[in-house]
Amino acid sequence: MAGSALRRLMAEYKQLTLNPPDGIIAGPINEENFFEWEALITGPDGTCFEGGVFPAKLIFPPDYPLSPPKMQFTCEMFHPNIYSDGRVCISILHAPGDDPMGYESSAERWSPVQSVEKILLSVVSMLAEPNDESGANVDAAKMWREDREEFNRIAQRIVRKTLGIPT
Amino acid sequence: MRNLGVTVLSLVLTTAVIGNAYYQKKQFYPSVVYITKSNPSMAVIYIQAFILVMLTGKLMGKVFFGELRAAELEHLMERAWYAMTETCLAFTVFRDDFSPKFVALFTVLLFLKSFHWLAEDRVDYMERSPIIIRLFHLRVISLLAMLGALDLHLVGHAYLSTVTKGASVQLVFGFEYAILLTIIVNIAIKYVLHTIDLNSETPWENKAVFLLYTELIMGFFKVVLYIMFLAIMVRISMLPLFAFRPMYYTMRAFKKAFNDVILSRRAIRNMNTLYPDATPEELAAADNVCIICREEMLTASKKLPCNHIFHTSCLRSWFQRQQTCPTCRLNILRSPTTPPQQPAARPAPQPAPDQRPPPPFNFAWPPPPPPPAAAANQQGENVNLNQAAGGSGSSGNTNANQPPGAAGGMPGPGMPFFCPPFPFMPFNIPPPIPPRDFSGMSDEEVRRMESSAREGVEARLLCLRNIQMMLDASVLMMRQYSESAAIAAAQNSSMANQSTPPTTEQTGPDLGPSSSGSATEQQKTSPSVSTNKDTPSTSGSASSSQPSTSKVAEERRVTSDEASSSSSSINTSVARPSQAFTPEQEEARRRRLQKFASD
Ligand SMILES: [Zn+2]
Ligand SMILES: [Zn+2]
Repeated sequence: MAGSALRRLMAEYKQLTLNPPDGIIAGPINEENFFEWEALITGPDGTCFEGGVFPAKLIFPPDYPLSPPKMQFTCEMFHPNIYSDGRVCISILHAPGDDPMGYESSAERWSPVQSVEKILLSVVSMLAEPNDESGANVDAAKMWREDREEFNRIAQRIVRKTLGIPT
Repeated sequence: MRNLGVTVLSLVLTTAVIGNAYYQKKQFYPSVVYITKSNPSMAVIYIQAFILVMLTGKLMGKVFFGELRAAELEHLMERAWYAMTETCLAFTVFRDDFSPKFVALFTVLLFLKSFHWLAEDRVDYMERSPIIIRLFHLRVISLLAMLGALDLHLVGHAYLSTVTKGASVQLVFGFEYAILLTIIVNIAIKYVLHTIDLNSETPWENKAVFLLYTELIMGFFKVVLYIMFLAIMVRISMLPLFAFRPMYYTMRAFKKAFNDVILSRRAIRNMNTLYPDATPEELAAADNVCIICREEMLTASKKLPCNHIFHTSCLRSWFQRQQTCPTCRLNILRSPTTPPQQPAARPAPQPAPDQRPPPPFNFAWPPPPPPPAAAANQQGENVNLNQAAGGSGSSGNTNANQPPGAAGGMPGPGMPFFCPPFPFMPFNIPPPIPPRDFSGMSDEEVRRMESSAREGVEARLLCLRNIQMMLDASVLMMRQYSESAAIAAAQNSSMANQSTPPTTEQTGPDLGPSSSGSATEQQKTSPSVSTNKDTPSTSGSASSSQPSTSKVAEERRVTSDEASSSSSSINTSVARPSQAFTPEQEEARRRRLQKFASD
C-alpha cells in the first residue's frame, strides 16, 4: 500500500488540474516522484509584480500533510518575505511552535487542512502585500518601507527578467 | 570531465614520483624511504590517496545507491560541511596525536558517515516512492549489513585499543562509531517498518506509533552514549567541544520524542475514550471527506468536541504531531470535555469553602491533576495501548498505570511521589520529617551523600525535595495561620490577652516536623483552625497550647540566627495580624519561623 502522503498528493494534483485557480499552475516535476513539484505563479494584477510569471519548486515531506512542504522560488526574487536564495517564509508554511520569524499573532499556520492550492494563494497575496515585520530579506523589507519607488523598479526588472524581456 | 582530468593528472604525477624514486634508488625499500623523506613526493602521494578515496566513494555510491537524487546530494553536502567543522574542532583537541594516520582515520570516519546519511535518506525515500523495485531492497539490505558490520568492528577495535593502550583518540572514534551503529539500527527498523507497510494491502495505521517509539528508544540510547562519552572525556580532562552540537541536537530530539509520546498518548486516549464515533447521519451531513487525507470517510471516524469529523487513523497520526483539531485548532488536551461517567471515582477534593489562591511555591510539583475522566479511563487506555503499540512494550504498560501527570514527572526510587491536589495536603498528610542535622550523621553517611554515584545524587535530591516540601507546607500553614489570626484579631481586638488561639495554630507547623507523635496532634489542631474562622473557640485549642509554650522557650535558646531570604518574605506576609502580639511573643514567633524556614 502506498503511503497516505502519496495518495493525498495525487488527490491534490488531480484537484488542481481539474479546477486550476487563476494564475497558478502546479504539478509534480515528473510523475515518478510526487514529492517534488514545480509551480508557476503569475504576479497579482495592480501590484509591482504584475505580469511576471515566477517559477518555484515545492518539496513535500514524507509525512505530508502532517508537516508542511517547503517552497522556494527558482528565479531571482526581491521581496521582504523571500530569502535571497528563493525560500519562501510565510506563516502557512510553518507549524505552530516553529517560529523562525516570530509570527506570534498570525493565525494562518500549517495544519492538514491547508493544501498546495492554499499555499500558492497565500504566496500570491504575499506578493501583493508583503509582511515587512517578518523580514526574510531585510534589505527588501527596508526598501519596501522606505523607498517604495526603488522597490517597484527592482520588482519590474525581475518581472521583465522572468518573461525573458531584456532589461 | 574535469574530475577525470584531475584523476589522470594525479595518476601521472604519482607514477612520475614512484618512477623517479625507483630510478634513483633501484631497490624497493630505499625508494620507499626516499619518497617518505621528500615532502613534494609525499604531497603527491596524499593527493593520490585522497583521489582514491573519492573514487571508492563514487564506486560504492554507484553500487549501493545508483544515481543520487539532487535532494540527497544537497543534504549530503550540508551535513558534510558540519562534519568537517566538527572534525576541525576535534583536531584542536587532539593536537598531540596529529599524524597522517590520524588524518586517514578521520577520512575513513567521514567517508562512512556520509554513507550512513545517504542510507538514511534512501530509506526515508521509501515512503515517497510509488514503486520500490527488488534492486532497491537488495541494495539497502547489503548496505546496512556492510555498514553495521564495519561499525561493529571499528567499535570493537577502538575498545580494545583503549583498554590495552589507554585513552587516546581511539576513544573518540569508538564513540563516533557507536553513534553510527545506533543510526544503522534506527535505519534498519525504519526499513523493516516501511517494507511491511508497502507490502500490506490496507494502510497500516500503527506504523506511526512504531516510528514514534523507535525514535524515542533510539534517542534514549544516543543520549546515554553521549553522556557516557562526555563523562569519560571529562574524566581524562578533555572537553569534547566538537561533540556539543550533535549532543545538543540529540538531547533536543530525545526531549521532543519524549514529549510527543506523552502528549500524543494522552490525546489518543482521549480520542478513543471520550469522543464518539461519527454516525452515518453525521457523515452524510458533513461532506464526508476527511480533510487530512482527502479521502471518503466510510468507517472508523471520530467526532471531536468541536464537531469536526476525521478518520480515526488520520487523527491518530496527526495527534502524534499536535494535539489540536486540524480544522479549528481546538486544543483537545485543554478543552473541557464532558465525559459520560464523571464523578464518583474521585470523592475527595471538593473545592474548599473559602477560595484560597494557589500556593506560591508550587512550581516544582507535577503538572495539575489530569482531567477527572482520566482515572476512570485508565482501563480504556490500557486496552488502546495494547492495540496501538502492539509489542512495543513493557514500558508503555507500566506507564499507563500512573496518572498522566506523573508520567511526565521525575521518576526515581525513594522520591516522595504522592501528589494530592495541593491545597488539601496539610490536612491529610503530615509534612515530611525534616532532614537530620548533618552533624549527627556518621562519616560514612556523609560520604555517601557526597559521592557522585547514583545513590549519592539520589540522597541529595531526596534531601532537597524534603526541604522544598517542608517549605511549601510551612508557607501554606503560615498563610492559613495568618488568615485565621487576622480573623481572630479582628474579632478579639479589644482583648489583647486572648491572643492564644493564633499561637496554638502555630504549633501545627512547628510540632509537625519535629516530634513523631505530631501527626495526630496536627490533625487534631488543623480542623479547629478551620472552625476558628467562624467562631474562634479558645477552649478547644487552649489545651494543646500547653506543650507549645514550653517549646517556645526551649527553642529560643536553640535557634541560631541564620536568616534566610524566605524567612523575611514570610515575615512580611504575616506582618498584618501580628500587631495583636506582645513584643516577646512576636519575637518568639519570628524566631521560630526563621528556624522553620532555614531547616
Ligand atoms: Zn482521513
Ligand atoms: Zn475542530
